[in-house]
Amino acid sequence: MRLELQKITKQFPGVLANDRISISVDKGQVLGLLGENGAGKTTLMNILSGLYRPDSGKILIDGKERIFRDPAQAIDAGIGMVHQHFMLVPVFDVTESVVLGNEPTKGPLGSFDRATARAQVVELSKKHGLHVDPDAKIESLPVGVRQRVEILKALYRKSDILVLDEPSAVLTPQETEELFEIIRGLAKGGTSVIFITHKLNEVIAVADKITVLRRGAVAGETTPKKATAAKLAEMMVGREVQLTVSRSKSKVAEPILQVKGLNVLNDAGGLAVNSATFEVRSGEILAVAGVQGNGQTELVEALTGLRLVDSGTVVLEKKPLHAGSPREIAMAGVAHIPEDRNRDGMVKGMTIAENYILNTYHLPQYSKNGLLNRKAIAAATEQAVKDFDVRTPSINTDIASLSGGNQQKVIVAREFSRNVRLVIAAQPTRGLDVGSIEYIHRRIVEQRDAGAAVLIVSTELDEVLALGDRVAVMYEGRIVGILDAKEATRERVGLLMGGITK
Amino acid sequence: MTNKKKPVAAARAKTITTAPAKRSTPVGDGADAQQQLVASRVRAGLFALFTLLSLAITNGSAGVEGKFAFWVDKIGGTDVSFSVPVVLLWVAVTAGFGAMAALQFVRGASFRWRLAIGLISPFLVFALLARLLDGTTANLTVFFTSTLLYTVPVGIGALAGIVSERSGILNISVEGKLLFGAMIGSIASSITGIAIAGPIAGAIFGALVSLFFAWLGIRYKVDQIIAGTVINIGALGVTTFAYLRILQPYSEFNRPIGITPIQIPFLSDIPVLGPILFSLSPFFYIAVGLVLFFTYMIYRTRWGLRLRAAGEQPNAAGTVGIDVVKLRYRAMLIAGLLAGFAGSYISLSGTGGFGINTSAGQGFIALAAVIFGAWNPVYAFGAALIFGMTSAATTLLSGLGVTIPPQILLSMPYIVTIIVVAGLIGRVRAPASAGRPYDQG
Ligand SMILES: Nc1ncnc2c1ncn2[C@@H]1O[C@H](COP(=O)(O)OP(=O)(O)OP(=O)(O)O)[C@@H](O)[C@H]1O
Ligand SMILES: [Mg+2]
Repeated sequence: MRLELQKITKQFPGVLANDRISISVDKGQVLGLLGENGAGKTTLMNILSGLYRPDSGKILIDGKERIFRDPAQAIDAGIGMVHQHFMLVPVFDVTESVVLGNEPTKGPLGSFDRATARAQVVELSKKHGLHVDPDAKIESLPVGVRQRVEILKALYRKSDILVLDEPSAVLTPQETEELFEIIRGLAKGGTSVIFITHKLNEVIAVADKITVLRRGAVAGETTPKKATAAKLAEMMVGREVQLTVSRSKSKVAEPILQVKGLNVLNDAGGLAVNSATFEVRSGEILAVAGVQGNGQTELVEALTGLRLVDSGTVVLEKKPLHAGSPREIAMAGVAHIPEDRNRDGMVKGMTIAENYILNTYHLPQYSKNGLLNRKAIAAATEQAVKDFDVRTPSINTDIASLSGGNQQKVIVAREFSRNVRLVIAAQPTRGLDVGSIEYIHRRIVEQRDAGAAVLIVSTELDEVLALGDRVAVMYEGRIVGILDAKEATRERVGLLMGGITK
Repeated sequence: MTNKKKPVAAARAKTITTAPAKRSTPVGDGADAQQQLVASRVRAGLFALFTLLSLAITNGSAGVEGKFAFWVDKIGGTDVSFSVPVVLLWVAVTAGFGAMAALQFVRGASFRWRLAIGLISPFLVFALLARLLDGTTANLTVFFTSTLLYTVPVGIGALAGIVSERSGILNISVEGKLLFGAMIGSIASSITGIAIAGPIAGAIFGALVSLFFAWLGIRYKVDQIIAGTVINIGALGVTTFAYLRILQPYSEFNRPIGITPIQIPFLSDIPVLGPILFSLSPFFYIAVGLVLFFTYMIYRTRWGLRLRAAGEQPNAAGTVGIDVVKLRYRAMLIAGLLAGFAGSYISLSGTGGFGINTSAGQGFIALAAVIFGAWNPVYAFGAALIFGMTSAATTLLSGLGVTIPPQILLSMPYIVTIIVVAGLIGRVRAPASAGRPYDQG
């Protein structure tokens, strides 16, 4: 089916999220949709899937105008949506999740016909090569598999138009490659696909056509053949973007963080970090590479006091920290940019200012005798918002209403607001657009140059290679190698990430 | 650092080799395993404490005889009596708690403590009863029937709580609906002179109250705890006022046609068991039927699947085209019907119709049963049975003029609930979105 969106406009209080956006996608075509954080991509897709009503504009399917009052009508029209944040019930199993909303039933009470549902799911997953266990609980599945469940949901509803909103943000490189195979297969079968991402090489790899949004409006259209990553970045941000941060040679000095024989358990009680020993010195960035789930999460949680250390020592400038509380660790000069910013980085529903003082509110400059000093907090936040170029109507805006990139800037601003000796940044640019990535990377390098030690954990090889003065690779809970930037080639790091140490 | 020698080494090796590349930490599960371990230790400790306590009671019970009687054919007919040494009962209870403490300690998180508590509670209540009776004869037929009858309003009320909370609406207004159901049921039955008009009117009125509550919570996103509290307080005020101003002066409005017990053919003739199980108020059999029906509906039907989805992740339901708002209104309608029906039982089964605050907190006990029963109708009914037993024991003791304050027993449901809710002894997993308004945008 051919889909056309004509002059879609959507106004949120204070934000014109979509400003007369027109895009189209043909049968069997893959449209790559690019745009900065907050450019309005998700809003546009939510309008397409019936979650929001546009203020004006038309949705045409095969030339006929359609109006979607709710998601059910969009689904009936053949639109399948894989949302940026998964829409799955954690306690359901795969079969239930896939068929929810269109369940096969039998009998007068509408009994759920599990056997039929399960058979349909099995058949569908075979047909499209989407391997999932139909009986597995969603909460026990890794994100890559959850994604497949989301795609199965759309296929089960016989979607002719499949929308994938940043499907690769949380996937491993292999999972992303598998996803591309699925997308290509679907397109060949006649499904139209709209693929949203921040990763420029991904659109170039998989799209037939690329549309770029900027500040709620279409900034341009192109094809992968004509486009280069640099050109796309410029179209998105409206200026030239440095895709890799430039940095001088580091002036490495004394060790700041020393980790010896660190063992950390995962939630299941298994050994997630296995006798990790390393140090990070003043003025250097140690980048930890590795496929998601090889103990990096637990390592960071242990270093920041969010997870108990099973055994081993963590020393920050001679001060033992392995038994410290998160506050003690933070006050000792550790800045933490958490992996999951929605869960560990901010409190949604609180303002930017409140989030800004989240771990310093108890200091005398912000509170006395248990009373907050609103004036001082506002002044400090105003300054931070200016320094870090946070795009927001005001510092009293709910942080939840900011775009991902701006939320991350608030977190980075907060963490860098203290005297920083060690920066621990986990997936600092996940889900961010190229402009924000450039910005955050620059800030991190600034900290290094100011003499802090920096530990970056990332599953993005590009990020690791761009930032690391040294690169450590984690595999199955062990640090299987630490390379100097010179030796750290894509190939060597890639092999180590796969556990091949030779 | 010597982790290889630790007993968990095998488990560790396993978790590490099973495709770690594909493993991720499910959101919100951080430190969960640790918490569970702590909780199971706390449970083991509690059980050990109970073992010691009951050992102490065992010591103090030497020589006390527990004297009991049963009606063989019907209440007030021929009876048989027997006696057991109270010590024996307490030895059994002590052994039970001892076994629970040991098993809990050894098996950790996999020990089915909820079931164990469910099994030992009747014995505990019974042994306490025997000890408190201190030689006075107690009729167990009366004790057991009143246990089952006390269970009715709590069990159905719990069902109301489960249906609404499974849909995502935190329903603390069960108590208020019980009260309204009781009053309206009594009035309707008195005016019409038709027995069945009482429960029907009670149910309908409960539904209206429930829809009002849902409207506040869904349409205006009023905090559901506050809205529920308002309804509970309002119900007490309104019914008390109506009682004093209308039902008392014009008592013909409060003389309902009682709903009398039924004798189930053949089964009610079974000696001893017949009078206990098969000669009860029809409300009891309806309650059991409702519990089974809703268990099936919640876990086995499309309606149930959608209900649970709406209560866990309303967005997941909404984006596949399920009308979450409508679904929640319907769930509240059902919950209201159930609670109002349960309320009518209170005024229609006894004598004397409606009185001030006749529900006497049973709606709150119902919520305790919901939590203790982990939002499962059958388990919640089991919890209601245990709570019913404590009420029956209290009634029995005060009827016999036993001097030890029966409040000790009466407060048990609340104490158990506080312990469960505090998450000290284990996690109860409420529907993830219960109490949170749904916003589609
Ligand atoms: N429900 C809402 N209420 C108010 N403002 C909103 C709402 N949803 C989005 N916005 C605002 O609309 C703008 C567009 O947001 P949208 O989520 O569509 O961006 P996006 O392009 O998907 O960004 P990202 O790449 O970060 O996902 C942002 O400024 C955002 O803050
Ligand atoms: Mg988005």
